[in-house]
Amino acid sequence: MMRQVSNKVGGLRNLIFIGVLLVLILILLSDIYLVDQILEPLEYFYLFFAAVAIFYGIYPLYANRRLTKYYWQRIKKHRLSVIGLAFITFLIVVALIGPIFTQDPTKVNFAEKNVPPVGFTVQQFVYDLQAEEFVVQEIPGTWQHPLGTDDKGRDMLAMLVSGARVSLQVGLLAVLIAVFIGTIMGVVSAYFGGVADMVLMRFTDIMMTFPFFLLLVFIIFIFGPSLVFIILVIGLTSWTGTARLVRSEALSLRTREFIMASKSLGASDTRIVFRHLIPNVISVVIVIATLSIPGVIVAEAALSFIGLGDPTVTSWGVVLNAGQRSLDTAWWVAVEPGIILFLTVLAFNFLGDGIRDAFDPRSQL
Amino acid sequence: MKQGGLRGYIIRRLIYAALITLGVVTVTFFLLRVGPSSPADKYLANMSARTQDPSQVIAAIEARYGLDEPIYEQYIDYVVNLARGDWGWSFSTSMPVMKLIQRHWIYSFQLILLSMLFSASLGILIGIYSAIKQYTKVDYLATFFSFIGISIPNFWLGIMLILLFSGTGLGWFKVYYDTGLPLFSLANLKALVLPVITLGTGMMAGYTRYARSAILDNLRKDFVRTARAKGLPERVVIGKHVFRNAILPIITIIMFDLSGVVFGGAYLTEIIFGIPGLGRISFNAIFANDYPVVVTITLIGALVALLTNLVTDIVYTRLDPRIRYD
Repeated sequence: MMRQVSNKVGGLRNLIFIGVLLVLILILLSDIYLVDQILEPLEYFYLFFAAVAIFYGIYPLYANRRLTKYYWQRIKKHRLSVIGLAFITFLIVVALIGPIFTQDPTKVNFAEKNVPPVGFTVQQFVYDLQAEEFVVQEIPGTWQHPLGTDDKGRDMLAMLVSGARVSLQVGLLAVLIAVFIGTIMGVVSAYFGGVADMVLMRFTDIMMTFPFFLLLVFIIFIFGPSLVFIILVIGLTSWTGTARLVRSEALSLRTREFIMASKSLGASDTRIVFRHLIPNVISVVIVIATLSIPGVIVAEAALSFIGLGDPTVTSWGVVLNAGQRSLDTAWWVAVEPGIILFLTVLAFNFLGDGIRDAFDPRSQL
Repeated sequence: MKQGGLRGYIIRRLIYAALITLGVVTVTFFLLRVGPSSPADKYLANMSARTQDPSQVIAAIEARYGLDEPIYEQYIDYVVNLARGDWGWSFSTSMPVMKLIQRHWIYSFQLILLSMLFSASLGILIGIYSAIKQYTKVDYLATFFSFIGISIPNFWLGIMLILLFSGTGLGWFKVYYDTGLPLFSLANLKALVLPVITLGTGMMAGYTRYARSAILDNLRKDFVRTARAKGLPERVVIGKHVFRNAILPIITIIMFDLSGVVFGGAYLTEIIFGIPGLGRISFNAIFANDYPVVVTITLIGALVALLTNLVTDIVYTRLDPRIRYD
């Protein structure tokens, strides 16, 4: 199915995409060696993400409206995946425009600490200045803080919105990097075989031997945490699964007639790899990308939960950490970020399942 | 197969495992050397304020640990020391890393072993039952719950279990693991109930799915139809013919999961419940800048994963005569 998409769109697209990448690399070089900073580190990831999304997502879908409609109808059959997609869209909108409406997630206000969510009332020991003693006070939830506040009086809603932004950044960008590396590794390894295959696959084996989370902790420990670096590290360590899968997919494609035909017509290796192999493994790649986003989001949350996240951003893991500290006094601080994290993971899992069934109902992925 | 069948296969697998081990060690060495702070800085952070001139201390440390030698000699030293069991000195606990590991590995081991027993036995049973009753309410319920189990972040599940069942909740369990309890005692088992559920739920959900699809695959095979046609009772068909064929791939997947899912999960579980296993030790060492401990525990994780995969592969070829040795 996907092959038809690529043939219609043509090979000019790849050239423009590589051109965009080259421009990005040039800007990167000037940022490294010249004084004036043109782009923030995170902006490179965004531009890269945008380029991939436009050239290999939006444009092909737009150019083949009939096929797009066909895929959409098949995904629609999977009711849960539509719900998942709706939730993810909602989350993206919240992450994009939410911070405009919410309060500052880092604003500490001890006068309003441990305020429960709206509709709940808790009892707290409060020091009464006039009576000069501790009194039990009923504290009701207010609309000022719809989801309550934590033990430092920070607004829960604001922190969760900020966390949504962090999680989506990490999830989408890191998986994009991982999938990019994995696809290239897999296709090169399968198509060229021999020494290239051996070296790349042995390296994949070595990387796969490391327990993912332990390796992540180890690298962050050595290099120090920052959001950009965490995205990069997760991307650079989690491509192994994609590489293996793409390799086995490409191996079976290599012997198919249309590749033989194109080879005997004198097509170059680059042309076969870019025009025939990659477009044909794309559907597998999209499925594995969607299904690996939740793992990455959880890994980031776990990192910041144990205190190895970027200390300058408020992520769901940071809130959960605060929540574990105040389980006795403020249960909502631990419950709320966890529920959203759980729903996000569930949504991506549902969507991934739906996409897989839409692309290939027989797949055993 | 030319080189002596199974024995040749095992020898080749061993050589390959040794090469991968060397690769793993090399990757850690490389990461340590390209890191922004040299190991000497990390040592220095532990000895801060003991002397007036840090550059002198750095020079002394570099000489002591051979950091002033050429990089290939450092590499050879690193590999040789690891192989000899000389894993460095832990500053934060003032003992050799080897001794620290010997003292604490058992806590991780018991947590992982119990979680695997719990999740594998329950997961496989539910998976089989769900496959036999395919497209019934039970099957849908099991599928639904396995989806939730896979999606629930295990460290959050742990916190929720603490909130509900210990401390200010129902108060059935202690919030923190009591290290005074003797190992392999009933009280210790009780203290591990919540950690095992925390670590085991996600694994169990995964195994339920694997087991269900493995059993369903085999149920459609010809030999099952033959067995049924012979008039064998369903209990024998499922228990002998289907189960025996399905169990091997399930076990392989369980063993393969060990490095990816289980170790990361155990790391977090130990931190949440305060179990003094290797994860907790590594966690403490990170914040004490005690880098030999962090390196060693990462390596141990990789090597244990490698070893289990090796053993699984070899045992697999013994158990399943259809496997070829290449």
